[in-house]
Amino acid sequence: MHRSFLAALLFAAPVSAADDAVAKPIASLKAVEREGKNNDTIGLAWTALVGQGAPALIPSLEAVDDDKPIAANWLLTAAGAVAEAETKAGRKLPHDKIESFVKNVKGAASARVLAYGLLPAADKDRLLPSFLNDPSADLRGLAVAAELTKAKSKEELEKVLGFARDQDQVEAIAKKLEADHKVKLVLSEHFGFVTQWHIVGPFASVQGKALTMKHKPEEGAKVGEKLKGKADADVEWKPVTTRDKYGIVDLNAEIGKLHDATAYAVAVIHSEKEVPIEVRATTPNALQMFVNGKKLFEREEYHHGENMDYHVGKGSLKAGSNVLLVKVCQNNQKDPWAQAWRFSARICDSTGAPIPGVTQLVGETKVKLGSVPASEEKK
Amino acid sequence: VIRYSLIIPVLLAGSLPLVGAEWGQFKGPNGAGISEEKGLPTEWSREKGVKWKAPLPSRGVSGAVVAGDRVYVTCSSGKRDDKLHVLCFEAKTGKQLWHRQLQATGQTACHPKTCMAAPTPVADASGVYALFATADLACFDADGTLRWYRSLTNDYPSITNQVGMAASPILVKDKVIVPMDNDGESFLAAIDVKYGKNAWKADRPSGINWVTPFVREVAGKTEILFAGTNGLTAYEAETGAKRWTFKEGAGSIPTATVVEDMLYLPGAGVSAVKIGADGVKGKSLWNAKELKPGFGSPLVYRGKVFSVDGQGFIACGDAKSGKVQFQERTKTAFSASPVAGDGKVYCINELGVTYVLDAKESEFNPIAENNLGEEVLGTPAISNGCLFIRTDKTLWCIGK
Repeated sequence: MHRSFLAALLFAAPVSAADDAVAKPIASLKAVEREGKNNDTIGLAWTALVGQGAPALIPSLEAVDDDKPIAANWLLTAAGAVAEAETKAGRKLPHDKIESFVKNVKGAASARVLAYGLLPAADKDRLLPSFLNDPSADLRGLAVAAELTKAKSKEELEKVLGFARDQDQVEAIAKKLEADHKVKLVLSEHFGFVTQWHIVGPFASVQGKALTMKHKPEEGAKVGEKLKGKADADVEWKPVTTRDKYGIVDLNAEIGKLHDATAYAVAVIHSEKEVPIEVRATTPNALQMFVNGKKLFEREEYHHGENMDYHVGKGSLKAGSNVLLVKVCQNNQKDPWAQAWRFSARICDSTGAPIPGVTQLVGETKVKLGSVPASEEKK
Repeated sequence: VIRYSLIIPVLLAGSLPLVGAEWGQFKGPNGAGISEEKGLPTEWSREKGVKWKAPLPSRGVSGAVVAGDRVYVTCSSGKRDDKLHVLCFEAKTGKQLWHRQLQATGQTACHPKTCMAAPTPVADASGVYALFATADLACFDADGTLRWYRSLTNDYPSITNQVGMAASPILVKDKVIVPMDNDGESFLAAIDVKYGKNAWKADRPSGINWVTPFVREVAGKTEILFAGTNGLTAYEAETGAKRWTFKEGAGSIPTATVVEDMLYLPGAGVSAVKIGADGVKGKSLWNAKELKPGFGSPLVYRGKVFSVDGQGFIACGDAKSGKVQFQERTKTAFSASPVAGDGKVYCINELGVTYVLDAKESEFNPIAENNLGEEVLGTPAISNGCLFIRTDKTLWCIGK
């Protein structure tokens, strides 16, 4: 039996209930299960939704939730298919409604970006400046790029900098500020890297098991406590301050050039109130991240790249002091290009910006995240 | 009855699209890289010998595939390369028939040379199965209807490869075979074409790998051959059961090929070894280090082995003896695999220059050098008497 006929049978609604004809398949798409377990009915719901034509466009976009990415893709493709069919049929898309949806920052970023692409070029250009502080990385990035082409003065550049989140754009602004206005930007502050740590190691590690091999720092050992490390050797905590512009801590330099080894790094983060955070880390090694003993993220991969913010843990800070613990494991590869043992971590909001009221506690002193004490930032 | 039996075929013939030879997957039929078509193009440029060209929304290093009267291409875009595109064009005219966009659900960081549209999609007359480096897998009917979608990263969250994944899926009967060797949960999965559910999922050792599997029929059974860090393993297509492993057949990027009872393995060069019903027999018959494949897979065509590499070398050797016939260094690196048809071998470099070789020649003496002037990393497709070349900006149909 043809799929569209089956879809019509399953998702049929009385004529008077046109809203149901859209709402029912959307509800089905939102109930999609992992591993394609209910794809048979989900596929029919997609066909039924698209079959509704223009009335399905905005509800499909509005139903997208980026925290439910499987359902999001069923809905995004449905919205795209509806818009394409309408355009092919020579019917005008409801640009006013699409624009309203794009402007509503409560909508899912992926759906807003898709909707933005449906607008006429002139409308896109008109809206662009309004995205400078947008939660969508794509829309914000486009707006920053457009402003960057115009910004010349120190004030204009610093204003754009305040909105920039992407490494390439921040670096471009930093370069302009330094070249044209002799202003040296402290990148570690802009990104909110943790620059002051207490580290301890080495502990034993084995590739494939590195993240399940728990050592004392994961079990509540306090900074300063004497511990037994790899091969039962005594290991001590040591304070480390990184002056690297991207907050990188070189564990080869601080602990030793080792293989099959784990190091821990601890920092105390202070927050004025409870806030959601992202801990974003960069490392070519295996990694786990904990906040207040709760594991936020883990990944075991070695020496395949060191892309900024590749590892993202989502969690929250409580009001007051919070303990950030990062575990970094080195494997036993002998290749010259596989010897790096290092990491950086930063605390930011979902757009990648430092969070107001969140600082680092160094002793009893609150310091700005990313600040580099008693020295200039390393070039 | 007679009247109807005459009319129906006429009506059907009128309604059926013009269907050329299929090139539905990476390197065409069973990944051999060979077309049986005649009258394939020899010379072209941006202005000459182009049947049509169509702009693409963004970059991709995957190849185009052709099935039925459709050409399918994948692209990726966005500040984080997390917008995934599947496009369908009419093979005859280049008219864009539909374009769908997905949001990446897996990681998008990768080596700058590649991008999230790296695996070549696989297609048949019913539609296309598009896998991305983010482990997003979508199946669209030929008319653009989303048949099903899988976020393999959501299903198996430890999947990771900071270099970027690129192994391509293949179709075996009613299953899409998905290679997913990475540093997290690694597997070879067979996913049913109708609903996108797992038919089977075979565990693989953890480790990144860009090899595309291929298939052979042996003793009435279909085997999937898939090389990885631990060797070349044969799986039963029906069940995913392991049949045998050839440890010396380990691979990481290029794909091997079987011609009759000979297995040609890419590695430090190309080696040849006999293969029987129960797997590889004995030691290598020859190994030619000069036939060094890079990203591109070796091509075995008309008794010769052709290879291209990342330093710009094009090499050719005798398929029986491995004796090298030529090894020529050209100016630019190759990423795309060589393909062949109509007695010609097509080697397209990263700047979009295609060296067309006469397969009979035992010396490097290209019969044409054709420049499209755009980046090409994906392997071309051959169908309908044409070459389909996807660049970073354009889908080109070369031919008449």
